[in-house]
Amino acid sequence: MRLPRLFRTTPFRLTLLFVALFAAAASAFLAYIYVATAGEVISRADARVSRELRSLEAVHNAGGQMALNQAVIERSSVDHPLLYLLMKPDGGMISGSIGASPIREFNGEKTWASFSLTSAQPGGGVERQPARGVEERLPDGTLLFVGADLSESEFYVSKILRALWGAGALMVVLGLGGGLLISRDVSRTIASLTHVIDRARSGDLNARAAVRGAGDEYDELAAGLNDMLDRLERSVGSLRHAGDAIAHDLRSPLTRLRARLEAAMIEADAGRTDAKAALHTALEDADGVLRTFNAVLAIARLEAAGDAPSQSVFDPSELAADVAELYEPLCEDKGLEFQLQAARDLRLNGNREFVAQALANILDNAVKYTPAGGAIMVRVRRRSSGDVEISVTDTGPGIAPEDRARVLDRFVRLENSRNEPGAGLGLSLVSAVARAHRGALEIDEGPGAVDGGGPGLRVALVFPTGGQA
Amino acid sequence: MRLLIVEDDALAAQAMITGLSEHGHQCLTAGDGEAGLKAAGDGRFDVLIVDRMMPRMDGIRMVETLRRDGDHTPVLFLSALGEIGDRVDGLNAGGDDYLVKPYALAELLARVEALARRREMGAVQTVLKVGDLEMDLIAREVRRAGVDIDLQPREFKLLEFLMRHGGQSVTRTMLLEKVWDYHFDPQTNVIDVHISRLRSKIDKGFDKPMLQTVRGAGYRLEA
Repeated sequence: MRLPRLFRTTPFRLTLLFVALFAAAASAFLAYIYVATAGEVISRADARVSRELRSLEAVHNAGGQMALNQAVIERSSVDHPLLYLLMKPDGGMISGSIGASPIREFNGEKTWASFSLTSAQPGGGVERQPARGVEERLPDGTLLFVGADLSESEFYVSKILRALWGAGALMVVLGLGGGLLISRDVSRTIASLTHVIDRARSGDLNARAAVRGAGDEYDELAAGLNDMLDRLERSVGSLRHAGDAIAHDLRSPLTRLRARLEAAMIEADAGRTDAKAALHTALEDADGVLRTFNAVLAIARLEAAGDAPSQSVFDPSELAADVAELYEPLCEDKGLEFQLQAARDLRLNGNREFVAQALANILDNAVKYTPAGGAIMVRVRRRSSGDVEISVTDTGPGIAPEDRARVLDRFVRLENSRNEPGAGLGLSLVSAVARAHRGALEIDEGPGAVDGGGPGLRVALVFPTGGQA
Repeated sequence: MRLLIVEDDALAAQAMITGLSEHGHQCLTAGDGEAGLKAAGDGRFDVLIVDRMMPRMDGIRMVETLRRDGDHTPVLFLSALGEIGDRVDGLNAGGDDYLVKPYALAELLARVEALARRREMGAVQTVLKVGDLEMDLIAREVRRAGVDIDLQPREFKLLEFLMRHGGQSVTRTMLLEKVWDYHFDPQTNVIDVHISRLRSKIDKGFDKPMLQTVRGAGYRLEA
């Protein structure tokens, strides 16, 4: 049989364990109190009895049996708290407040015993009262018994005992009750977290745990869970976004390719075009789609990966010199002055290929848009903050401030770029590369108008190096 | 040339056969790594074209096994995986070149021929010769018909690659990969500018232009 859910919860089990431990400790405590109290009652009674016995012995020593008998009779007659019995050497009663000695096995000298006194009650019942006493044989052979009625003290002891038992029972009840309440509270909190996890597991990443604001560990747990879900949602979102972007980005060039093939087929059917030429154009279109696809995929992968893969330490100046060397002839052909300013002994940790591609893309734009007679400068330096900056400055038309954020989006091409080849993915990739290195891409104005040219453009890739050389 | 195509996609294999046979190559196919290993052991091939992801035994394991058995036939890996890490994995397994899918036929052809050529050359050469063009790799000197030609280091490297593959088409991508060691696609054809510079240095003043543009493929250094 399964216990109800509440009783199976960890908090309830813990409560049960604690109640049990507490009850054990309390029992030991109660036992100690009882033993100590009861022992005290007996030793006090014994002390009183001993004192009385000594004083009666003194009476006997001074006045003999006659005086003792007198004293016993006197004390028995008044309502005295102690019990007396004076006996002949054979045990026969001489005088006293009880009829017979409660000591059954007298060992000849001085014998202590606990016993109960029975007395008939007016109602017909018999009352038993605890008592304790001592019997002694006096030098002349007479037996003297002195006892004390313990009922009064015993009454208090039993009262205390009852109170203790009551307290114990109350403690167990309160402990169990409290445990149940705590368990229910904890179970409810945990259940709400479990519910959130269940929802997330079934695909609902919007589910969030309620943070109660108590600042306790449940809030910490809930906040941690929420943070995890936030991250998960973001990364799933960016993956989905990448997938959507690829689908969207490829749809238009593929549609264009298809339309062109269809048109070519109609044209060829009508004998207006050579089918081979149409196929050739279609093939070029397909290559364009593939190039776009590769670029979009590279961007999407970089964006989804978080940090750039395959990182290594390299010299950014060397890399810039390499890429610059690739583009320098192009600049010369176009009548552009080219300059490379590279600081020495810089180190950068990153994906060399991606950084090279990013710089190539920036340079490619610079060469494309800077009119003949202009200049392009590639600069690699360490900023005072320790960050490494790779920048390309040109004397072209620049990008208006309001367009600077927009050009980083995929497929955005500004008005003046319509005549140049390209898909509008170059700077998107540069931006993705910067982000994959936890760096930044800065776009601002160049050196100002040169020979009737625009204000120019400065594009800088800034890589944090964490202060290392 | 005798080529072995190890590819599980029959349609892709057929397209390759069509394209490669057109250029006079003899092609055999195998559908997975195990069959490929067996076929490679049976016949002498000039180049193996191996797809990376295949059922039963993938391309990487197939080539690793082949190399362990002492077979050094040049291997061109084909793969849809184009990350730098994937490329390195392929080359580490014993591949000689790596082509990412999808690719143009001209690219495949040029690379296959380049691989076969590399094997033919065999021993280390110190002097390269194509027609009346001569390159001394040790003295780092280039001469055409006895006339010294002064080249920048990169131009030297570019010409060396073209000379090693004299008479063969090489694509722009191949040049970018082998001469510059870049594996991305620069948007402008920067390679063309470098080629035209080199061309002006080696062909200027000579009747016969050696460095030719191959339409739809790339360039070729003709003797």
